[in-house]
Amino acid sequence: MASSLTITNLHAAYGSVRVLEDVSLRVGAGETVALLGTNGNGKSTLMKCIMGILRPRTGSIVVEIDGDRHELIGRSTEEIVDLGIALVPEGRRLFPKLSVEENLMLGASRRTARAQMGRNYDFCCATFPVLAERRRQLAGSLSGGEQQMLALARALMLAPRILLVDEPSVGLSPLLVSRTIDTIKLLKEQYQLTVLMSEQNFTQAIRIADRGYVIVHGQIAYEGRSAAEMNDNELIRKFYLGI
Amino acid sequence: MIVSYDLLVNALIAGVLLGGFYVAVTVGISIAFGILDIVNIAHVAFIILGAYIAYIVNLHFGLDPILVGIVTLPAFYALGAVVYQIYYLSFERRGQEALRGLAFFFGLLFITEVGLILVFGVDYRYVSAIYVGPSLRLGIADFPLRMVVPCVAALVMFGVLQLFLSRTFTGRAIMAVSQDPLALRLMAVDPIRIKRIAFGISVATAGIAGALLIVIQPVEPSVGREFIGRVFAIAVLGGLGSLPGTVVGAMLLGIMESLTATFYGPSWAPAVAFGFLLLTLAFRPQGILGR
Repeated sequence: MASSLTITNLHAAYGSVRVLEDVSLRVGAGETVALLGTNGNGKSTLMKCIMGILRPRTGSIVVEIDGDRHELIGRSTEEIVDLGIALVPEGRRLFPKLSVEENLMLGASRRTARAQMGRNYDFCCATFPVLAERRRQLAGSLSGGEQQMLALARALMLAPRILLVDEPSVGLSPLLVSRTIDTIKLLKEQYQLTVLMSEQNFTQAIRIADRGYVIVHGQIAYEGRSAAEMNDNELIRKFYLGI
Repeated sequence: MIVSYDLLVNALIAGVLLGGFYVAVTVGISIAFGILDIVNIAHVAFIILGAYIAYIVNLHFGLDPILVGIVTLPAFYALGAVVYQIYYLSFERRGQEALRGLAFFFGLLFITEVGLILVFGVDYRYVSAIYVGPSLRLGIADFPLRMVVPCVAALVMFGVLQLFLSRTFTGRAIMAVSQDPLALRLMAVDPIRIKRIAFGISVATAGIAGALLIVIQPVEPSVGREFIGRVFAIAVLGGLGSLPGTVVGAMLLGIMESLTATFYGPSWAPAVAFGFLLLTLAFRPQGILGR
């Protein structure tokens, strides 16, 4: 049951531009960890490194799934997903010209997920009634909030053990942000997932996170060991709450 | 002008049957160009290659040409997979597919054509099968079997493909791959593998279409050029990326060509067909069933 993610001394760059410097971060089994930071501080880059989309310079990214340890660096994205790690990418990246249902089915492409497809599909329909209603509609014709729901549901169809969510609140109204964050919590509890969520919206993210990290200019500037501790932190007050 | 009822009915039937054959010719382009965004100009050359294989096996072993098409499916699939791999490694991977890729497929077209001319010469070749001569008559309606059999075969092939694309994981991945390859990787699916499979299938349909072509009419190596414009027109008319759209486009074009040829003379047929394409695109740029 235990699925954890440990990142140690990670360095990454785009060409000569260094984006991540000596990032170490841990998401324990069953935890929800928030990765906080404003635009351009390296949150998405870290997600890309975990998923094998960008190859880091040095460091290690290790996941432990059901007692098996896997080093992720050097593996292809497909292999990493196949281990049971799903990413809800920034900008959602749905297949706009496919129907809602086809998008969901594509989520269940990996072998382990196919076996559970029926059950997961029913769960998605029950959790997101609006998606069930619009299952024949093209994904590109959904509203922003519905698209975010579909992106989450599609990741769930992968039957993941570790869920990465990159900036779920981007482009959503405050009410929808709050609903999306609640949904992530619900999914996490239902499926006993381990969650790493990157967010700019501190107040919303910290509502469901067990603890968090603040990333500034590609470095972990602060590690909060509990939600309460993060609420009281100087740096966070300065950066986010403007106090 | 008094239009003869008999003539009209038979022109319509001929149009539908021709349209059915166009489905077989176009469905591969619909996959390669419509779904994968690969401008495979050489598709018609693969069709002619299929026609010649059907011809040579039919001539020497007396095997039914359509059966030859079915038997050679794996070989054409493999040919398509290899061509895609070369295309991917040489052009697509470096993002140079737009112009150089087009030149690559033009090259394939000419090499195949010239190869066939060197081996078989420029004479027209034809096949023999029990359904090439006779016709079925129902009242005033005339159903030439050499058109009916290819039409039915084409529609069966379309049905199988449509089921495959909409019901299987691989099929759905094929529909998705050009929309967002990275998103597909995040579903644990390798987009290059999916494109290779899809392109293999696309070329495999050319093998069958070639066998159907030589049942319908005698074939010489450059006869494929007549079809280049038509297949792309049908794919665009029906709506890129939509297989059912391809059937609608093929049927419309077949019927229009047949009606024009019957009532105004065959030389008007392409003009009317392409005029209709322009009109459709003016009012519905995404094609009839385009998403």
